Amino acid sequence: MTSQEQVIKTVIPDLRNIPLDRLAELGASSLARSIVLYRERLKENGVPLSSFNARI
Amino acid sequence: MISTHRLPDAAFMTLAGGGGSRAMIRQLLQAQRSKHTMLLHAIAEAASDADPAAQGTAAFRAGYELLTRIQATDHGAGEWLLGLPHVGGWAHDGLIRLDQGAVPDFAYLACAAAAAAVRAGVPFELDVPVRDGRVLLPGLGSLRVPDRSPWVRLRCAGGRLTAGDRLEAATRDLRPDDGSARPVPHWRGTPAVRAAAGGLTWDVLLVTDDPYLDRYTLPMSAGLATDELRRWRQRVQAAWEVLVRHHRWAAGPIAEGISAIVPLTPRADTDLISATSPAAFGAVATSWPPDPVTLAETLVHEFQHVKLCGLMDMVPLASAGAENVYAPWRQDPRPASGLLQGIYAHLGIVRFWRAQRHAETHPDDILRAQVQFARWRQTIDSAVTTLRQTGCLTSAGVRFADAMRAKGRELAAGSVPEEAQEVAREVALDHRLNWQMRHVAAHADDVARLAAAYRAGEPFPDRGQPAVWIEGDVRKIDSGIRSRLLTMRYLAPRRYRELYSDRIIPLSEPDRLLLGQAAEPAVQAYRDLIARSADPQPDAWVGLALALHQLPSSPVQTAFASQLPVMFEVHSCLGARSDPLELASWFG
Repeated sequence: MTSQEQVIKTVIPDLRNIPLDRLAELGASSLARSIVLYRERLKENGVPLSSFNARI
Repeated sequence: MISTHRLPDAAFMTLAGGGGSRAMIRQLLQAQRSKHTMLLHAIAEAASDADPAAQGTAAFRAGYELLTRIQATDHGAGEWLLGLPHVGGWAHDGLIRLDQGAVPDFAYLACAAAAAAVRAGVPFELDVPVRDGRVLLPGLGSLRVPDRSPWVRLRCAGGRLTAGDRLEAATRDLRPDDGSARPVPHWRGTPAVRAAAGGLTWDVLLVTDDPYLDRYTLPMSAGLATDELRRWRQRVQAAWEVLVRHHRWAAGPIAEGISAIVPLTPRADTDLISATSPAAFGAVATSWPPDPVTLAETLVHEFQHVKLCGLMDMVPLASAGAENVYAPWRQDPRPASGLLQGIYAHLGIVRFWRAQRHAETHPDDILRAQVQFARWRQTIDSAVTTLRQTGCLTSAGVRFADAMRAKGRELAAGSVPEEAQEVAREVALDHRLNWQMRHVAAHADDVARLAAAYRAGEPFPDRGQPAVWIEGDVRKIDSGIRSRLLTMRYLAPRRYRELYSDRIIPLSEPDRLLLGQAAEPAVQAYRDLIARSADPQPDAWVGLALALHQLPSSPVQTAFASQLPVMFEVHSCLGARSDPLELASWFG
């Protein structure tokens, strides 16, 4: 496989084609794990704003 | 079993080099929709455990059910809603509230779903909250409700929306206000701009009414009066023309990825503050930009943050580090992830000014562009080195940082007029030395040992450098006016000339000599000030370093540029009347 074809598996579950009313059926799935991981990252980093003062 | 989003490695490397096509931005946005869906699901689980009798919980459930129906009947309307930065901001807020043991703003989902349904013409009936006399339909606008009740029932059917018993409007009229439609009673469309130039169009909202996009370091502007809105539209259009004409690499992706501008209320007229939040992909916040080129630069800058926030959600690049470090564009020490963001933003800024300096025609504008290019191009390489030294990068983060460095070196090539180069060097030195004086602490015992050796006439000891570390606020330094004037020389040259020649600004004599390029008298004046003062004068030490920098290079100049905080501490230990230049010679 060339570098052009290589893909990176990301940590965001692909929910594009899953209707909202089916999410609950996924139960203790990778979705739940992804939510736990995301919450941990949020607790660790917060929501860090990038704030810039152009005059500095 | 669900899979995760996939990102082509080639896209990752293109993004790492500061670029990214429209298709790549769409991939980031698709992942954000999944992220918002994921967060929405987490909030839905909390709602299922909440008091079902509470109106907020009931509104959430109705909104969730409506959004499910919208997905089934008009997939595009669901995608539109889940891609809104407003929804990202709300979902993050909800998750944070849950983690703090508080109740999320459940009812906002009812408003959001109603907005998507109105947009798609999907019939519905649900109760929504009334805040400050208005019902917010995120991404569209707000409806003024005459009743004083905190809740109102919205009904949508047959192309009509009714609120309560009295208010009715055609759903086709409930759109953002791009300035082309006639006023609709009780409706205030979110101000929108359709900027067009060179065959490229950009549709963007000017959001001043959504509490979940009012989460920046400065407050969101409280509405835009007619005249202000006209000026914003004109400025966005003019900035778009700059981007399309001279920075097309950025224009298309910006049109794809920035859907909302949040006008901020500045602290002072002279400050341009801009910001981005990882919670609200697609939104950038800025105070009023003084000219179209500045807004164009701000959009490039903040869009770099938008891209990187989206990418870091998908591929973790850095962990939170223990120690904060120097970033050449900030006054505060930054964590590794913050430095990474800053480098990425400045990769875009370097590329912007690299091209913009050839587009300008007025001498002052050319100077500004050349200095901006010269100042920022020299920061990328050293900042990447600092970033890698933090040890906080993941393996993907290391690849990303190396790609930024390579692109930074490529962009740094090119000659700059000597005057602009010198201004850039001086401003960069001023920033670094002020930062060091504020944030670099030295071990007191080590400093005392050095002072004793100096006093005893001994040579500078081998391995005599004191242990140093970075702290929040080590010393108070009062060089703000001088630093502002140094940057004003190229950011607003005409204003600088007026202020300097009219002696309007209360400058000390050494500072006036420094700004007048009278280097030798300035060195003597700072030297005298330091020697005769009973109190430590950290800002005079920085001024002395800058004055020395204007002279031919020497060991003393190098000592001031590289060891200023330690020399300052040793001098303080020795007491007043010690000559700073003699001490620097000893260090040198």
